[in-house]
Amino acid sequence: MADFRDGAAITTVSDARLASVLDTAVDGILVIEERGKILVYNKACEGLFGYTPEEAIGQNVRLIMPADYADSHDQYLDNYLSTGSKRIIGIGREVRARHKDTTEFPVELSVGEARTPEGRQFIGIIRDLRSRKEAERRFNELQSDLVHMARVSAMDEMGAALAHELNQPLTAIMLYLQAASRSITRAVQGAPLPIDSFRQVLEKAVHEAERAGAIISRMRHFVEKREPQRRDVDIRAIVDEALELVMLGQRNPPRVTRNYASDLPLVSVDAVQIQQIIVNLLRNANEALKGRELPMVTIGAERRADHIVISVEDNGPGLPPSAIPTLFKAFSTSKRTGMGLGLSISRTIAQNHAGDLKVDPGGNGRGARFELELPINGGGSPASASDQQG
Amino acid sequence: MTIHILEDDPGVSDSLLTFLKGLGYEACTYPDAESFLESAPPSPEDTIIVDLLLPGISGARVIEWLQTMKTPPRVIAITGQPQAAIEKQIHGLRNIQVLRKPLSAETIASMM
Repeated sequence: MADFRDGAAITTVSDARLASVLDTAVDGILVIEERGKILVYNKACEGLFGYTPEEAIGQNVRLIMPADYADSHDQYLDNYLSTGSKRIIGIGREVRARHKDTTEFPVELSVGEARTPEGRQFIGIIRDLRSRKEAERRFNELQSDLVHMARVSAMDEMGAALAHELNQPLTAIMLYLQAASRSITRAVQGAPLPIDSFRQVLEKAVHEAERAGAIISRMRHFVEKREPQRRDVDIRAIVDEALELVMLGQRNPPRVTRNYASDLPLVSVDAVQIQQIIVNLLRNANEALKGRELPMVTIGAERRADHIVISVEDNGPGLPPSAIPTLFKAFSTSKRTGMGLGLSISRTIAQNHAGDLKVDPGGNGRGARFELELPINGGGSPASASDQQG
Repeated sequence: MTIHILEDDPGVSDSLLTFLKGLGYEACTYPDAESFLESAPPSPEDTIIVDLLLPGISGARVIEWLQTMKTPPRVIAITGQPQAAIEKQIHGLRNIQVLRKPLSAETIASMM
C-alpha cells in the first residue's frame, strides 16, 4: 500500500484510486520533496530496493543511491532549486541504484516535477535494467563467439598455405644445423673447425627460426580468442599486417598497389576485428583473381568527411548479379569451401564500430570494389559515469 | 657430378647448398626454372633437386623437360604441399622421388 505522506491516512476516493494505481505499476515510483525526503514509495519499489515503506518513507532518497551519487544528490537538488537548470527532469537516463543489501544495479530513471501547495515535489519512475543488460551481455558474447569462429574458419582455410610457409624455415633450420653438426664431428676427428663459416651457419639458422616465429605470432594474434577491445590505431598498419597474413604462402600473389592518404588520423577500433575484415576482403579478391593473367589488387585508405574509408578492389570478373542480394547474408556462399560467414561477419563488425561495409559489384571488365567505412571519432563511445548523474 | 638446386625460397636454397657442400658435393642454386633452363644443360650423372612450386615455369614442367633428355639426370622433387596437390602435379611423371618438407637431412644424405 502506497502511503502519501508520513502516516497520513487515505481519506478520499481519488487518494484510494491513486494508491491502487501506484501499487499496480510494474515500475518503481517514488515521490520526494525538495530536500530529498521520500514521500511516496510504491510496491514495486519494495521489490527493487528491499526496504519496506515504513523503512523508506521519511528517509532521504540517498537511501537507495550508491555512495557516489548520494554524496552529490543534495548539491544537484540545491543547484536545480537555485538556478532552475534541468539536468535530469524531463529526460530519462540510465543510473545505478542500490538495494538494501548494498548491491548496485542499473536502472532507467525518469523524473518529473510537480508544484504543490506544500512546495515542489519530484516524481521518479524507476525501471530495472538488469534483465535487459543481461540480454545485451549475452548477445555481445554470442556475437563475439561468432566473430571468433569466422576468424578461426578463415585461418583453417589458410592452414595449408601456412603449413607450407612454416615448412620452409623448418627445412632450412634442419639443414643448417646438420651442416654445423658435421663440422663439429670433423673437428673432433682432427680437422680444423672453420670458425667463421660455422658461426655464419648458426646465425642463418637463428634467422630462419625467427622467421618461423614471426609467422606463428602473426597467426596466433589473429586466432586467439579475447575480449573485444578498442584503442587508437593507425589503420595503415592494420591493413599492411592483414596483407602480409593473406599473401603468406600465395604462390602467384597479385600485384598489390597501396594508395594511402598521408594525413590519416588515428581511429579507435578493435584492431584484430578490423584486420579480420581486411583479411576477408583480400582473400575474396585472391579467390576472384584465380587463373587471371596479371592479377592486381588495389588497396586505398582515405579520409572522407568524418570517416576513414578503406577500399579493396581487384581486377577480376566482378561479382555475378545473382550473388549480390545475399552477399552479406550468413551461410550463403558461392564458394565451395568456407562457411559463407565472412562478409556477413565483416559487415556486422563494421556496424558495431558505427561504420559500414559497402560493395560495388563491378562486372563488364571491372572487378569488385569493397569499401569499409569507419568513423573517425570512434562512433559514440559509451557515456562516462559523470555524464550519467543528474 | 653436380647437384642443381631449383628452389625459390632463399632460406631453403641456401641451407641445402650449405649442407650438400658440407657433405663434399659440388652444388649450385637457381631461384627459378627460367635461370636453370638458361644455363648449360645438366650432365647425365648430375642430380636435380627441384621444388614443385616455383614462380613462373613450374617444377613439374622442368621435370617433364628433363625426362625428354636422352640420358636424364636423377630428379628429386621437394615440396611442402598437401599430398593431394602433389599427386595432381606429378601425375604422368616417371621415375621421380618426392620429398616433403620439412626435409630430413639424413634422408637427403642417404639419397646422394
